[in-house]
Amino acid sequence: MSLSFIQIADAQRSWDEIEYPPLNSFDRPDIEMFELDNGIKFYLVEDDELPLINLRVQVRTGGFLVPNEKAGLNSVTGTVMRTGGTTSISGDDLNELLEDLAARMETSIGLTSGSATMSVLKDDFDELLPIFIDLLKNPAFPENRINLAKTQLKSSISRRNDDTFQVGIREFQKLIYGAESVYARNTEYATVDNITREDIVDLHEKSFVGQNMMVGLVGDFDTHEIKQKLIDAFSEIPAGERIELEFPEVDYEFAHTINFVDKRDVNQSFVMMGHIGGTRDNPDYAKIQVMNRVLSDGFSGRLMRIVRSQMGLAYSVFGQYGSGNFFPGMFYTGVRTASETTAESINAILEQVRRLQDEMVSQQELNDTIDRFLNSLVFEYDSRASVLNERMSLDYAGLDPDSFDRLVEEIQAVTVEDVQEVAQRYLRPDALQILVVGHGGEIGDQLEQFGEVNEIDISIPEPDDEEEVAGDAEAGREWLDRMAAAVLPGGGISGDLIFEADNTVQTPQGEMVLGLKQTINFDEEKLISVVNAPMGEITMELVDGEGKMMMGGNEMPMPAEQKEQVMAEYYRNHVYLSLNREGLQAEFTGMEEIDGETYAHVRIVDEITLNLYLDPDTALPAITTYRQFDPQQGERVTVKLVSEEWTEQDGVMMPYKSTSYSNDKKVSETTVKSHSVE
Amino acid sequence: MKFSKKPVLGILIALLLLPVAIFSQNLEAFEENVTEFTLDNGLHFIIVERTVAPVASFVTFVNVGGVDEPAGHTGIAHIFEHMVFKGSKTVGTTNWEEEQEYIDRMDEAYRAWLNEKYRPQPDEDKMEQHWEDFERYKEKASEYVVTNEFDEIISREGATGLNARTGYDFTDYFYSLPQNKAELWFSLESDRFQNPVFREFYEEKDVIREERRSGVDSDPFGRLREEFLSIAFTAHPYGRSLIGWPSDITATTIEDTRNFFETYYTNENFTFAIVGDVDPDEMRELAEIYFGGIESTHEAPTVKTIEPGQRGERRFVIEEETQPILMLGYHTESQTHEDWPALELLSSILSDGRTSRMYRRLVQDEEKALAVQTATGFPGSKYPSLFITFALPNQGIGLDEIEEAIYEEFEKVKEGDITQQELDRAITNARASLVRSLNSNMGLAMRLARIQGQQGDWRRLFTYIDELQNVTLEDLQRVAEQYLVKERRTVGKIVNVDADDEVSEAH
Repeated sequence: MSLSFIQIADAQRSWDEIEYPPLNSFDRPDIEMFELDNGIKFYLVEDDELPLINLRVQVRTGGFLVPNEKAGLNSVTGTVMRTGGTTSISGDDLNELLEDLAARMETSIGLTSGSATMSVLKDDFDELLPIFIDLLKNPAFPENRINLAKTQLKSSISRRNDDTFQVGIREFQKLIYGAESVYARNTEYATVDNITREDIVDLHEKSFVGQNMMVGLVGDFDTHEIKQKLIDAFSEIPAGERIELEFPEVDYEFAHTINFVDKRDVNQSFVMMGHIGGTRDNPDYAKIQVMNRVLSDGFSGRLMRIVRSQMGLAYSVFGQYGSGNFFPGMFYTGVRTASETTAESINAILEQVRRLQDEMVSQQELNDTIDRFLNSLVFEYDSRASVLNERMSLDYAGLDPDSFDRLVEEIQAVTVEDVQEVAQRYLRPDALQILVVGHGGEIGDQLEQFGEVNEIDISIPEPDDEEEVAGDAEAGREWLDRMAAAVLPGGGISGDLIFEADNTVQTPQGEMVLGLKQTINFDEEKLISVVNAPMGEITMELVDGEGKMMMGGNEMPMPAEQKEQVMAEYYRNHVYLSLNREGLQAEFTGMEEIDGETYAHVRIVDEITLNLYLDPDTALPAITTYRQFDPQQGERVTVKLVSEEWTEQDGVMMPYKSTSYSNDKKVSETTVKSHSVE
Repeated sequence: MKFSKKPVLGILIALLLLPVAIFSQNLEAFEENVTEFTLDNGLHFIIVERTVAPVASFVTFVNVGGVDEPAGHTGIAHIFEHMVFKGSKTVGTTNWEEEQEYIDRMDEAYRAWLNEKYRPQPDEDKMEQHWEDFERYKEKASEYVVTNEFDEIISREGATGLNARTGYDFTDYFYSLPQNKAELWFSLESDRFQNPVFREFYEEKDVIREERRSGVDSDPFGRLREEFLSIAFTAHPYGRSLIGWPSDITATTIEDTRNFFETYYTNENFTFAIVGDVDPDEMRELAEIYFGGIESTHEAPTVKTIEPGQRGERRFVIEEETQPILMLGYHTESQTHEDWPALELLSSILSDGRTSRMYRRLVQDEEKALAVQTATGFPGSKYPSLFITFALPNQGIGLDEIEEAIYEEFEKVKEGDITQQELDRAITNARASLVRSLNSNMGLAMRLARIQGQQGDWRRLFTYIDELQNVTLEDLQRVAEQYLVKERRTVGKIVNVDADDEVSEAH
């Protein structure tokens, strides 16, 4: 070893011996601010490092203004505003002009705000500013680009179940905010179809006006010089009316639930669990931020340290109590873990959530957590642009410009007691909604320890499921009356309808024939089925909503799922429909041809839409279809019931042969041997 | 306001002259802020002084990746990358000497278990015994661990963005610190690469298995990519799984991983880049102090396999529940080949931006695709690799239809259909994206270290733009004719099991 090396080794210091020189100062640039008569507020920061100018308009608008039946309107408007060009320059010409100059202009409208941006080489600024103003003021919204945006949106909808993570976040938000909430609702094929050009023009017109605009500019310019150019250009924008950022309330009820989405092409579960969170104006905000960082903060938070590094259960695990600027955030924790370790991971996370409440953090852990925050503060302002962006976001949210500085002070004052106190006040580990997206076959019964599992159907509603085209209600009623007369030639039914049948079911092992005797009373909502199965006789009884099953002298309650299915079949029975036709919302949508035969299509609109195809001569329901979730297939299927060989007995018509199909695949066939009313 | 083509062309000509000036100034101005030095032991450093804010980004680039893995140990480059975060002999442990004992015994037991497991007739009792030993030593070793202490030390000092990436061609390790804490990086970085400890090795392999499940097994794109490469490459290691085949992950031990590290992590394979508000002289001094004493005794091996020519088109179909995806790839060249700039520009003209040929036709005008993207240099660029195309068809559009349309666009290029305006636009945008990338400490540090580490001169970040300038329309036509041909092609598809018309016949 040479002498010089010894000296070098001597100069080396281990991490805990290093003394740091003071940090170089960062002079936060002053922001030049001014306002035009039309209400536009400007924020300017010079930055001459690169020969570029970046401009961003933040607009008070958003998806929160869009009604549910037009979900997606904000997204389509934001997209077509740019792609459709203006009344002076077509979208194609604009694309060429900008790309030839390596310039960018983009527009978008999110849930809580809209934006328009321009990024240009500084020498092109004067040339392109008028075009940007034109885009803000006079977007053309041509039909062909509207259609393009809608096609694209629908394509994205069709692909939304391919990514486990996306499914998990989406369905979890629905659990927290409600499926119909503006904060969680889906954009569907039908809602995209509902969007008209008029809607788009309206949303743009009321949004992109001076009263709603903040304009930020950062780049290589002289403030004094550019100010006049901006004033001249942006004065053209009409003042319009100010949109208030008023967001719908969230009406949350704490509940413990366990929910499951079955996805058969994965070998890993994505788990989300949590409940509603809070808002930014909570006086405990700083304490909550510290609690969040104890729980999850890169590799140093408890979740990563324990669930990932020590237990090896996950690559990705995270959590936080969210505080929204405009509406309550969510408290959530999440993990992606092998199917086999799903329950173990849920319990490991739960333990960490409870631990926040049950024990105080050590002073050391608190100090480390606060140090991580304070020492990384310098990255909050790692560019001149970041100063501008922070100020604009605070102003947009209506927060004080010194909010962040105050937060820093408050965080320094947080104590170990504070952390435990906010954990106890705001976290509810007893009332977590748990969502698992994963492979049902691999997960097995792991989830049952968390309660009765609610299976979520994520199949994508096709546009015809929610067809908005109204049929003819009057004609619908007439057809139903005709059907009732045909089904019940005696005019009604008094007593029990009893029939005996052979039910041939297709199973993976082949055909199986079950003998069936059913007694239905339509006055009392009573249903008794006696099934002769290979394992013996089973009696299923449903009276006044109470279901039970009897077999070999044993009696047990009917599982909820099965009860639901039996009741659904009862409500679809042609006799039930005939008797209760007055209360049904029926629409005649026209004559339709199926397999070469013509039928009258009557749609019964209910929770699940039922389609009756009536024989135009006899008015009997020859075909019935509806869509439902099939847990075995893990998706929605179209069920079709074909009824033939109608036979009358005791004033009631029964189809002596009926065949049912699931997605055109034959599932079962029922042959009735006799029926009577007693 | 009306826009004719004329003023647009006028602007274009002005612009063609303008950026050249701006950029050449840029390289000169930029170079003024760059300090470069190589220590006597061969370790190379690039320091860029950028005083915008009191922060700095640190990148350790290692010219070693998935291609360098020994057979039977795919994923080992990535496993080692994870181990570097476990600390050193002094960071992350309460007693290294004792911990090391148990780590060694644990690995020994694991190797014994592995050997038994893969015998033709494994002895179940022995396996169980080895496994029990393994579990016991693992438990003992874990008692000394201060979990994630490495991260805690730097995070407490304000570090952000701590991470690493393993690619086929390279591995890099990076984070940012407040500028006054550069010495902490020197101290910890030299320590963790001199003293890798393979702590929590088997727990971490479980973490990596989860990473594989997220990124490959449970992700349609991940599944398609892995399958695609394994079919497109017969001999070259670009065809192997980067994160590792599951059985290889199981079969990889601490001993294997240490061998890999010792073989490949040689001084000449390291390049360091620091960008931010730092004093270059001080950085040099610290480099001498902390890295000057690291010697390496041998040269790392390099990949010598050359992918043989294809004997015909290769096609495969994955049938699953996902919506359809199309992936095409043509064997091309590496980033040092003279055709590289033309291939990159061709890709840009075909699919970058709203004026690109494939976007305009397939996405916008014919509404056939949700997205189409081409790229060259997949899955790496150090060795001859692939020119690829991904396409997501819109609902109701068959993959065959999209595939045909893409081939038609390739044919047009071969017929010389690309205009000078399109070529100029692609070059202008390459320039502009270089400028736009210069204001990020981390982005710059990563790119400079990588270019230096792989191609020997960071200046190529700038001079490459001049090479683009020399590409002609004839070059574009020629590379299309030469490379975008059926005999060089692999076609992979995901088709939806529920759709009946998607499984296509070979073309």
